[in-house]
Amino acid sequence: METPSSKTGLFFWDQGGRLGKALDLNWLLSKLSKTKGISCCSLLEDPWGPEGLSQVVEKVKKGELGRLLWVGRFSREQQGILKEKLAEEGLNPYLQEWCDLEEQGVCRDGLEQTARSNKALLLIQMCLARVRLLEPLAPVEIPASESLLVIGAGAAGLHAAVSLTNLGKEVHLVERQSGVGGKVASLHRFYPRLCDPRCGLEFSIQTLIDSGRARFHTLSRVVSLEGGPGNFQVRLEKRPRFVDEARCNACGECARVCPVQVGVSPDSQPQGELPGLPAAATKAIHPSLPMGFPMAYVVERQHCPPGCRECERACPSKAVGLDQEPREEELLVGAVLVTTGWDPYPLFKVEEFGYGLYPNVISNLQMEGLLGSPVEAPKEVGFIQCVGSRDERHLSYCSTVCCSVSLKQALYLKQRRPDASCYVFYQDIRSPGFQEELYQKLKDMEGVTFIRGIPSTVRPEAETGRLRLRVEDTLSGREVNLALDLLVLAGGMVPSQGSEELAQVLRLPRNSLGFFESHLQCHPEESQRTGIYVGGCSREPMGVAASIESAQHAALEALRFTGGSVLIDPRYPVVDKTKCDKCKRCMEECPFGSFYFDENEFPTPHLGRCRQCGNCVGICPLAAISLRNLTIKQMAAQIQAASASFMDGKEPTVFAFLCQNDAYHAAKAAVEEGFPVPPNVVFVKVPCAGYVNNALIADALALGIDGVLIGGCEDGQCHYVKGNQLVRKRSDDLSDKLQKMMMDRDRVRFVNLEIRDSEKYTAAIEQFVQDLRAMGPNPFKI
Amino acid sequence: MPPKVDREKCDGCKAQQEPLCEQVCPGDLMTLGEDKKAYCRMPRDCWDCMSCTKACPVGAIETRIPYQLGYHLAKLIPMMGTNTITWTCIDINGKVERFRYVNRGRLD
Repeated sequence: METPSSKTGLFFWDQGGRLGKALDLNWLLSKLSKTKGISCCSLLEDPWGPEGLSQVVEKVKKGELGRLLWVGRFSREQQGILKEKLAEEGLNPYLQEWCDLEEQGVCRDGLEQTARSNKALLLIQMCLARVRLLEPLAPVEIPASESLLVIGAGAAGLHAAVSLTNLGKEVHLVERQSGVGGKVASLHRFYPRLCDPRCGLEFSIQTLIDSGRARFHTLSRVVSLEGGPGNFQVRLEKRPRFVDEARCNACGECARVCPVQVGVSPDSQPQGELPGLPAAATKAIHPSLPMGFPMAYVVERQHCPPGCRECERACPSKAVGLDQEPREEELLVGAVLVTTGWDPYPLFKVEEFGYGLYPNVISNLQMEGLLGSPVEAPKEVGFIQCVGSRDERHLSYCSTVCCSVSLKQALYLKQRRPDASCYVFYQDIRSPGFQEELYQKLKDMEGVTFIRGIPSTVRPEAETGRLRLRVEDTLSGREVNLALDLLVLAGGMVPSQGSEELAQVLRLPRNSLGFFESHLQCHPEESQRTGIYVGGCSREPMGVAASIESAQHAALEALRFTGGSVLIDPRYPVVDKTKCDKCKRCMEECPFGSFYFDENEFPTPHLGRCRQCGNCVGICPLAAISLRNLTIKQMAAQIQAASASFMDGKEPTVFAFLCQNDAYHAAKAAVEEGFPVPPNVVFVKVPCAGYVNNALIADALALGIDGVLIGGCEDGQCHYVKGNQLVRKRSDDLSDKLQKMMMDRDRVRFVNLEIRDSEKYTAAIEQFVQDLRAMGPNPFKI
Repeated sequence: MPPKVDREKCDGCKAQQEPLCEQVCPGDLMTLGEDKKAYCRMPRDCWDCMSCTKACPVGAIETRIPYQLGYHLAKLIPMMGTNTITWTCIDINGKVERFRYVNRGRLD
């Protein structure tokens, strides 16, 4: 783009005459019109009237003005209107800047009119310094594939895929197991309607097949992911099925001749020898698990006796091929959905209830299998809640569903065997939302007893094999002794087995509990890698309904990076390659991992992955990275303009960098709400407090500004993960240096501000100014 | 006298192969120790050019002034701005002088 003319137009709009009352506008105008580079400086009477902007439009059209600075209070909508209007005349929207004198407090602070006008002049000059360095920018278009990758074909993944194929997208479903369906397929009934979960899954699979836009990659895992949003290059590793999916019609001849019996359980846990329950044993060649889709058998080759090829011989359609090799496949996708779900917490770690020792102590997932099998239901059943959950020795969190699951199982048991008695041992019953209804129903049911207390001992009776339990009912204070046929442990959820490996492949941060990290309130499904979305239980334990909802939300977000091309906001960072010495700190500390090496091994931000927070700008030890519309040079020029004293020589001056997400709004509101903000402060807004580079602070101090304040979010609230912590660490380092330099370390201060912390902001500035008075002037002041 | 590294502060430039001080040292004296902290491997060869002190992103390096110029109280501390360098010079009596220079030789 050609360099625009440096002729600047400066237009005042004095809405409501407030500026005129507070300032000497004529003096300001005459002073500014003499400033270098200003070719037009005037006061607009009514910019929104029919002829209001005619002189500006005229001048821009003739090419007399190359860049504009608007002084006055323009709302964000009005700024948009101006941008649009002048873009029609050929002025790039990024060549305009707005200077709101009121938000800086010039109309309200306790200064004399001359001093106010001086401060206003300084603020306008700061903006002018920036305007001179503005560059025309235009959005960048990057190509975006039409297809998406869904990792994990459980209920969440399948439903998300249905939504995406309905919208015309091509979906690749990757599943580690031999078939789709995930954990939900192994459940017996859903609460609250007690319907069979396979019905919903079958419906999804049918829709996916009908659409013709879904591809199932079973027995597969992602081994590498390169590129960025819109254009991820994925490599899949596919384990051999040893059966040709196109030929096999699941007639089962092969399984009849297979000599090997192997125990296979959908929840990959030891099934145990439950009395009356047939071991879930199948042959080494068996249908896809868990629900027989894809409709092709699979051979567990590790169990095959050497040289046995019975199945190959028996297959009428010549589908079995025992010599298949693993193979790799490359895909190009626009976005990735991670719905890898959960695994049951390994209950043998909870030793007190004898799981794994006694055959009639089972997990709630195994109970689903038992309820689904045709065997006679046991008569006396105990349910222990929170096994390993909310327990600092095991899982510190609540998995939210186990209470409702036990309630559902008790209800179903009672329906199947009305004379059954159920005992639920609990600490608290957590039945959120409408599930309370289920709890109330169970409470009133005969033969269902709720005992508030967790059994202290579980011992099998030698002669009958029944379990003898001792438990203290903490509500009545009595000890209860019971003998039960079956004990069901309600274990919690942990992230699924493969998620650790997947996190490494996708470079996806996980939280301390192992779930994928995201900004839970604002962008719950957005992982810390742009273009990769996490849904369902891979992000947080949740029920089936919530997990489908979450995956569909993730799908909605992921759509952004499909559809041919994506427009990227031009405010992305660029690395000055003449300055960069490849220290790679930006690569290390970018919260979204957006940097990659270009062909000359310079770190380069990936436009798609970048979220334009500017943390790399702050991190760079050489100040070599700039956001394109907020360059280091522009910021340094603003600081230089601000260093001219606007206060009476003795008064300290404060330069504040405020995070535009909250601290800036707090400062703005402080003035609007009439808090006595000291006039000593001027501020600039930055995209994140993490933008602030130490070189900028050093600039301000070396130029004689008495104090530098950085306003950032509260800890843990930063939208860009940890920008506030990074800048605080850096400014602390700088403070240490100031101390060595025999200066007051407190001249750089960091304040946590939330969006409505106007009072805190005012108090912080007051305190800072007071402290700076005590410290005396900056020794660098000339 | 050699550069002194504050081991608490030094993060070994996040354990990159070459930390900034190593890259910038004209005598190739700075390097990472086994604990991933920078140190000067041949203190007697140091010219006291202070490049490492200026380059350190966390402000962990301090150059001790050679005894011929000043005893331990004396200090020379640089602070890097975007286009400026600011020197604080403290002599053995604790007298402080400060200088600010605009960098030369900008490439842009």
